Amino acid sequence: MESKKMEEEEEEKAEFEESEIEYVSYGGEHHLPLIMRLVDQELSEPYSIFTYRYFVYLWPQLSFLAFHRGKCVGTVVCKMGEHRNTFRGYIAMLVVIKPYRGRGIATELVARSIKVMMESGCEEVTLEAEVTNKGALALYGRLGFIRAKRLFRYYLNGVDAFRLKLLFPRPDLLPFIHKDEGQRHADYLPSEKCCGLH
Amino acid sequence: MEEPKVADDQTFLGVPLPERTSVPSGDNTIWADVSPLLDSACKDLEDGELIHGDNFNLFAAMSALEIMDPKMDSGIVCTYYSVDEAIENGAAPIPISSDKSVDVRCTIDIIDHLLACEATWHKGHSLAQTVFSCIYLLRPDRTSSHTLLHSFCRVIRATCKSVISVVSDARTHEEEDLFTMTYGLPLNGDGDDKCLTMLNAVEETICRQLRACKAPSSKRRVIEDIEPLQTKLELEEGYCKALLCRLRFRKHFYHVLACLRRPQGRGLELARKHIAFCISELESALASSEFLRSIFFGACKDGTEDKTTASGCQPIGFDASLNCRLSAPTPPRAIKILSWKKAVEYFMKLLRDIDIICSCSLVPSLESVLRFVVQFQKSQPDLVARAHLQCLLVKDGKLYGQDPVFAIITKAAALPEATKNHDIQKNEFIVQLGQLVLNLLKILCTNGAWQRRKLGKIIQDWRVIYMQLELAFKKEFGDSTVSNEENICVKIFQHILLWVEEQTYWIASRFLILGFELELYSPSEYCMVYWYIYVVLIKLAEKTHLKTAVTNGTGKRKGKKKRDTLKDVGKDNRIPPAVLFLQCQIYLAEGLAMMLAALRNEGMMLQSRSPFNTEHERFIQHFDLLQKACIPDHVSYPSFNESTIYARLSNLVMYNYFKDAQRIAKEVKSSFSNDPDKLAELRRLEQVAEHNSVALNIICRLGALDSSLKISFEFNHHPYFATAVVKRS
Repeated sequence: MESKKMEEEEEEKAEFEESEIEYVSYGGEHHLPLIMRLVDQELSEPYSIFTYRYFVYLWPQLSFLAFHRGKCVGTVVCKMGEHRNTFRGYIAMLVVIKPYRGRGIATELVARSIKVMMESGCEEVTLEAEVTNKGALALYGRLGFIRAKRLFRYYLNGVDAFRLKLLFPRPDLLPFIHKDEGQRHADYLPSEKCCGLH
Repeated sequence: MEEPKVADDQTFLGVPLPERTSVPSGDNTIWADVSPLLDSACKDLEDGELIHGDNFNLFAAMSALEIMDPKMDSGIVCTYYSVDEAIENGAAPIPISSDKSVDVRCTIDIIDHLLACEATWHKGHSLAQTVFSCIYLLRPDRTSSHTLLHSFCRVIRATCKSVISVVSDARTHEEEDLFTMTYGLPLNGDGDDKCLTMLNAVEETICRQLRACKAPSSKRRVIEDIEPLQTKLELEEGYCKALLCRLRFRKHFYHVLACLRRPQGRGLELARKHIAFCISELESALASSEFLRSIFFGACKDGTEDKTTASGCQPIGFDASLNCRLSAPTPPRAIKILSWKKAVEYFMKLLRDIDIICSCSLVPSLESVLRFVVQFQKSQPDLVARAHLQCLLVKDGKLYGQDPVFAIITKAAALPEATKNHDIQKNEFIVQLGQLVLNLLKILCTNGAWQRRKLGKIIQDWRVIYMQLELAFKKEFGDSTVSNEENICVKIFQHILLWVEEQTYWIASRFLILGFELELYSPSEYCMVYWYIYVVLIKLAEKTHLKTAVTNGTGKRKGKKKRDTLKDVGKDNRIPPAVLFLQCQIYLAEGLAMMLAALRNEGMMLQSRSPFNTEHERFIQHFDLLQKACIPDHVSYPSFNESTIYARLSNLVMYNYFKDAQRIAKEVKSSFSNDPDKLAELRRLEQVAEHNSVALNIICRLGALDSSLKISFEFNHHPYFATAVVKRS
């Protein structure tokens, strides 16, 4: 699906402290209109109500909302499931409204979903992003995603997409990977506080 | 409706049943009105709950349309309900205007808009929403009274048909399946096949009209019986010229397509002539746009850049929404038609790409075909050109429709000419190998994104066929005492095995290199990518070298005239140029991998640490397909890690790979003096080597002292060998 362009257009920026942003897991029907409004106004692809509900009802634990003083400023919607013998997470929609971009809210939202996916036994996470969406590509790049494929004219507007993939370390390979890295691995795992990579 | 099985008590789940309907119930069944049941069931549903089958998946959810939402329900933005209604409402009048001058002007607009539609179609939209948004095309017989428009509509339909046929035959359109969807469209107008006859007649008439209006008044009397094209005398010449170049373009373009479809590339030469005409007619059309603009706007006016006609006017007789609700499947979204200028640019590029195809030498050598296709793909040709190339290359299971694939393989494997008829070609694995070769050629004609994915998959097939051939070989000729006849078989097997390996590494290198073109690698991954290219190229060079050595051995004995190897007789000890060429690339790839590793190891390039995985996972993901096929053997993340972890700038300066690359590029040039493509490539490689060599020295000298030094990698000299750029921030 899509991720909103993250480029910093010279728009008026909201004044806020990062600590003022409150992250909430999807909590029920009252959150749905908030998510829909955000996605509807920021992304080009129109999604039916079935699409939203498909995600948030089946995987409420993978959807998060970001609030600033009671106002919803960002959201992430995901799913996970079996795909060709792999248990795979999928990031369907990621939106942060313009005045709040560039401050790590999207990274925090998506990192929270990814963390749940990892804990739920996912082997990898995938998503699609427009090749022109430099901001989103950089964001996912920092989180460890690679561009696995280019999808020719993926979107109806004729733009190509990248299929981005994040492979989690296999538990049985862990001892080897950290041969040289010592005990630093513990720091890699995102905790509530340290996953905001801005 | 299904008849539910119910008890006899005239209630169903507590809901009283109404009177029976006219269809009688069976012994154990009874009709029931389910409305009350549904009503009560609905009351039990919470907000947001949905009753669905097991197969309700994401695709089903996303395919759902919300009726009356203009973003999804394309039907509600329609002006007309049917073509007939549109025509009745005067959306596509014939004649377009009773004023002959206006009629001609409008016809030119229709012609131009059709060109824009056609280009938009070629670029990946549906035929129904582009070309066949023209109401005139949708009713083939209706235009017959308007000779000019009628001839045009015919040639457009016939051209579309021809293009669809080549794209369907090529089947390069795996991801572009919208292209060939024609369901319900009138592609076969009566007499469309004779469109050229009619077009020629119209052209002849307009030629005479042009001559008549240009003739001096004294002569005019003689040709007075010629009725002018339209009523405004001062515009006659301009209109005639504008129409003629458009008509002639269509004629020659139709010829181009026909010539390309001739078997065994026999029409290529003629096609080039028509291509030249097409280009010059398009240039004339471009030149006519000033005249056309001036009629409508009076003076030359800007702002026609994004218009779909040369005049800048809105054309009459188009309605893209008609097909949305009628016949052909169309995506439920409005599309943007390319501007006329962009359409002309598109056709210019298409013609140039087709011209490259026509320059194909038709030499039955796989190596030269592969090089030709790779070179052709560099200009990123669109679907129609790629489809034509594929149809030319692979036809009836033969190269160019004439050279049997086994003959191509024996030649590529450097076997003597005589072996091409050997019975061994009936071996099932040899037959399979032939299929793989043809398949490879087809894949190389597809778009870059698709091509890379397919190449990644077929690497496995090539690996498997190698093992199968090897097994078959051992099974048949396991013992060393062989007869003379078998001796030839042994040789064929040995050569083919070696060649299959070489070809497999070639595919692997192409797979890796395409990743750059598709922008699949981020700078932090360049190090591992160059390292992998380096290990693959080493194997490729090794196999190529071995093949040449084996050939030299046989070549001398046979004394074949045409063999390249003959040239090398007497200089056997020297490394063949093809291998040196690879060696140059090997040094570059190794140099870049080591330089990137050293910069990383010495903390001069920022490496972001992912919170969720490590470089190891990214390595696995990028090279998974190669690793699964053991390409090359014994190569994995640990070997990458070991060879790069100790890289230091100081060592690199002492042993400078770029200098070696530069030296070889210089030396080997003379061997390719009659090969301009290779020479150009060598010059590019030399430049990259030179720049990187200098950059390496600078970084080494200043790096430790100057922490403000910023190093980035750019592709300004070569499409996939990066050049280091050093800047002070």
